[in-house]
Amino acid sequence: MIHAQDLTKSFPDLKRGNVYALDHVSFDVQPGEIYGLLGPNGAGKTTCLRIISTVLRPTGGSAVVAGYDVATHPEEVRARIGFMSGNTGIYDRMTAREMVEYFGRLYGLQEDALQQRIEEIFETLQMHEISDMLGSKMSTGMKQKVSIARTIIHDPPVLVFDEPTTGLDVLVARAVIKTIESLRDQGKCIIFSTHIMREVEKLCDRIAIIHKGKILATGTIDELESEYDEPDMEELFFELISRNDAQVAAELA
Amino acid sequence: MSWRRIKLIFQREIRDQMRDRRTLFMIAILPLLLYPAMGVGMVRMLVSFQEQPRTVVVLGEGDLPEHPKLIEPAEEGEQGPRRFVKDWFGLHSDAEKLDVYTESMLPRAGDADADPKLKQLLADAKRIRQKYEQREKLKSTPGRTKAEIELVNRQLGVLFSTSRIQVLLIVPDGFGGNIAEVNRLLRERSGDSEAIPDYGRPIIMHNMTDKKSQIAYRRVSYAVSAWEQGILSERLSAAHLPATMTTPVNAEAVDLAQVEDISQSLWSVLFPALLIIMSVTGAFYPAIDLAAGEKERGTMETLLICPASRTEIVIGKFLTIMTFSMSTAILNLLSMGLTGNYMMSAMGGGIFGQAGNLAPPSLTALMWVLVLLVPLAALFSALCLSLATFAKSSKEGQYYLTPLLMVTLGLTVFCLSPMIEITPFFSVLPVIGPALLLKELLSSQGTAETLLYAIPVLVTSVIYSMLALWWAIELFSREDVLFRESERFELGLWLRHLLREKEATPSFTEGVVCLVMIFFLQFGSYKFLGTVDTNAPMQAAKLQMIYLVVTVACPALFMAVMLTKSVRQTLRLRWPSFKMLGLAILLPLALHPLSLELLASLDWFFPQLPPSVIKTLAALTDEKLPLWFVLLVFAVTPAVCEEVAFRGFIMSGFSHSNRKWLPIMLSALAFGLVHMIPQQVFNATLIGLVLGLIVYHSRSLVPAILFHLIYNCLPILRGRIDARWIKRIEDTPAEWFFAVEGGAIRYEWPTLLIAAVVAVALLRWLLAQPVGKSSSASAIAELPIEADVNVKTSVHA
Repeated sequence: MIHAQDLTKSFPDLKRGNVYALDHVSFDVQPGEIYGLLGPNGAGKTTCLRIISTVLRPTGGSAVVAGYDVATHPEEVRARIGFMSGNTGIYDRMTAREMVEYFGRLYGLQEDALQQRIEEIFETLQMHEISDMLGSKMSTGMKQKVSIARTIIHDPPVLVFDEPTTGLDVLVARAVIKTIESLRDQGKCIIFSTHIMREVEKLCDRIAIIHKGKILATGTIDELESEYDEPDMEELFFELISRNDAQVAAELA
Repeated sequence: MSWRRIKLIFQREIRDQMRDRRTLFMIAILPLLLYPAMGVGMVRMLVSFQEQPRTVVVLGEGDLPEHPKLIEPAEEGEQGPRRFVKDWFGLHSDAEKLDVYTESMLPRAGDADADPKLKQLLADAKRIRQKYEQREKLKSTPGRTKAEIELVNRQLGVLFSTSRIQVLLIVPDGFGGNIAEVNRLLRERSGDSEAIPDYGRPIIMHNMTDKKSQIAYRRVSYAVSAWEQGILSERLSAAHLPATMTTPVNAEAVDLAQVEDISQSLWSVLFPALLIIMSVTGAFYPAIDLAAGEKERGTMETLLICPASRTEIVIGKFLTIMTFSMSTAILNLLSMGLTGNYMMSAMGGGIFGQAGNLAPPSLTALMWVLVLLVPLAALFSALCLSLATFAKSSKEGQYYLTPLLMVTLGLTVFCLSPMIEITPFFSVLPVIGPALLLKELLSSQGTAETLLYAIPVLVTSVIYSMLALWWAIELFSREDVLFRESERFELGLWLRHLLREKEATPSFTEGVVCLVMIFFLQFGSYKFLGTVDTNAPMQAAKLQMIYLVVTVACPALFMAVMLTKSVRQTLRLRWPSFKMLGLAILLPLALHPLSLELLASLDWFFPQLPPSVIKTLAALTDEKLPLWFVLLVFAVTPAVCEEVAFRGFIMSGFSHSNRKWLPIMLSALAFGLVHMIPQQVFNATLIGLVLGLIVYHSRSLVPAILFHLIYNCLPILRGRIDARWIKRIEDTPAEWFFAVEGGAIRYEWPTLLIAAVVAVALLRWLLAQPVGKSSSASAIAELPIEADVNVKTSVHA
């Protein structure tokens, strides 16, 4: 469902010259699978997911999502993905229902199908009591629910979650994780980025450890643990990153 | 593009704005409250406003004629200032607005109980009179230098302005007696009445730069002239002469302005101005909220990942802003019109006294207001949206949009000026065109001819709006604009970055900076060009040459050397194919007669050049200058300098996005704009397009320089053709192709036809040329580094 080949994204920076936010990144994600991008802040996770969701254009490489190339058919790609990140806020001056309706209509859903779908989603996410509340009045957890409803309103085959639990309390974060799990069980193709180990361990079928725009290691958790002979995910993560940093420093010297 | 999605976005944005209290207040509530509130304020002000009386001192009251009186006689026991006689004022109540102080007000015996203010005033007045007499004496004494007189004059001015006197009236000794004497002589008709000697006249001193003094002077001089008329009519009746003796003509002025015309002339000033300002204001706040606000609230990305394309999003937002812009303008006009109307009918004073009610503009006029509002609102909405898209936050958006507001205000003031009327040239300018057309249509002088202007105004307005909208879409599709992060800006860091991270060719921004630099250098050198001595053509021509080198070639060369890795590639210094060189020679020959004819036929369109410019231009092409020198100044220098700058550096910068037409058109426009005269702007823009095409297809600057050189040579040679040679054409078949007009050659239609065919063929051939590898890699590879040095020297040579 998602096929990324040598994705590269560079941009000029005043201080450092040309900076690679993403440096030849390749991976595949299948339906019914959660692929985790694990990396520290500024590793290039968001850039990668923004390219997958056509918000940014790659400077090199290609990505095919649900059969469409992100560079040449961005609108077809957007119609088939649901994207949620810390940067996809909800409108302050719209109620939950209006917000979800608006996006449903933008996705071209028929009016009766849309209303039925909204009922379903509001039921599963228990959003009926906030249905007529303005976005500005909602708590973070409520907003997150609206965001999730917005993401899945058109029942997309591919879902992209960029650090969906950042800034949420334990209860809401747990609910979000549960939702993502249930979406996987519906056979969705999910790509998920985070810097929290436990979420990865709990949720992801396969992961990629990404640092400074490069994928350092990829595979299932078991594969990675046996390959690097390190049973603790956190230690593994830390070791890979520090090893990479040392290597880069040696190359520069 | 799906209209369904645009409609969805539009409806959402409208609802969103309607829920925003700030926007709603600015756009709907404020205009509805503002004008009535201003009306209330004005009424209050008028009620509480009372004009302060001004101080007039009269010296020598005793010497005024007994009859008729200028100053009301002082009543017994009355204190305080005296008044001029009421009858000498147009409005009798105006007499109250002047406080008159005279010497006779001082109590006869014992100065002790006199008002100290009065004493001070009279003392000042006497000192001024003394100074004045001193000055007059100095002036009439031979051998006094100017400086001495100036010194006394200055002292006189200081004395007057430090006193509290606003107007000082000095009556000379025996003035009344002199008048009575002349009256007597005239009545008796004794002796030679032409030989009646002149006598000393009164003096009215005032200071025009002091507002109070100016007002007082206007009143006093009005009263004094009326009083003079009074003296005159007494003199006439005493001499048994008719009262009309001094006014044998006295033409009667008949004002045909109708009541409606008065209000129309008011509307024609107010409506265009308010329409422009309010459509900008109406676009301002929603634009910031819809673009920068969306970024600020973190919903931009949510919108970007919906299936709507960027174009659809921009159009949806644009339509929203335009709706608000238009409704703000309409609401303001309505509110102002109704309030104004009410105020006028309620107060009914001043020039509108006889008008009573202010007639509302006609229905046709109102329809035109609406029609012209559409393109105006569209232009402003698209511009505001573009600028606001650039901003990261609402605050930043306000910073970016304020200059737009200022420029618009400037344009409005320009259009308000009664001297400015719509002309073909003004009609194609943005904002100015619609404003002037509306002004003309609303005023009573609007005729059927004015309606003809509606076509160019509407067509160009639509084009400008489309361009602005295209710009907004362009910006909205740029990642660096949408995801701009706040970077610490350091000038040093940035400069180092520029010098270090050089690319082979300049960036778009560097191209723009180069253009701006050229503009500023030109602006800075106006002063020197203004001093051109039209009597020394050689000198002037040399200055012109230096001007081109300094303001056009230098910035481009300097930036090419400093900011790019390869000067050669930037300036496209590459030997072209011989075919291209052939084209560069033939094409100007074909285009020359065509452009000449085109400009001649468009002469009516452009504003007339000011006489000083014509004189300068004539001086520069003076026949006395050697031909080689004129060609050097007007053909060789501009060809090299302008090509290096416009097709060289600037077009390379604009080509950075690897498009074909954008850099060609932008560089042509830039090339046109540096030519200050409108005719030349037009011509240069067209030629710039051709030059851009040549450079694009030949990948070399050389044919462009050659083309430019020949194109500039032709008009000079045409102007210099010997009269004998022209004679020789007569009665030969050449007459078919050339005619002689005012000593210069004119091309007949067969020539034009051939030229057109050749030009079209050549341009088609040019367009069909393969471009090959556009810019980057290959060119660098084939060039050794020292080539850059050679290039620099060769260009200077």
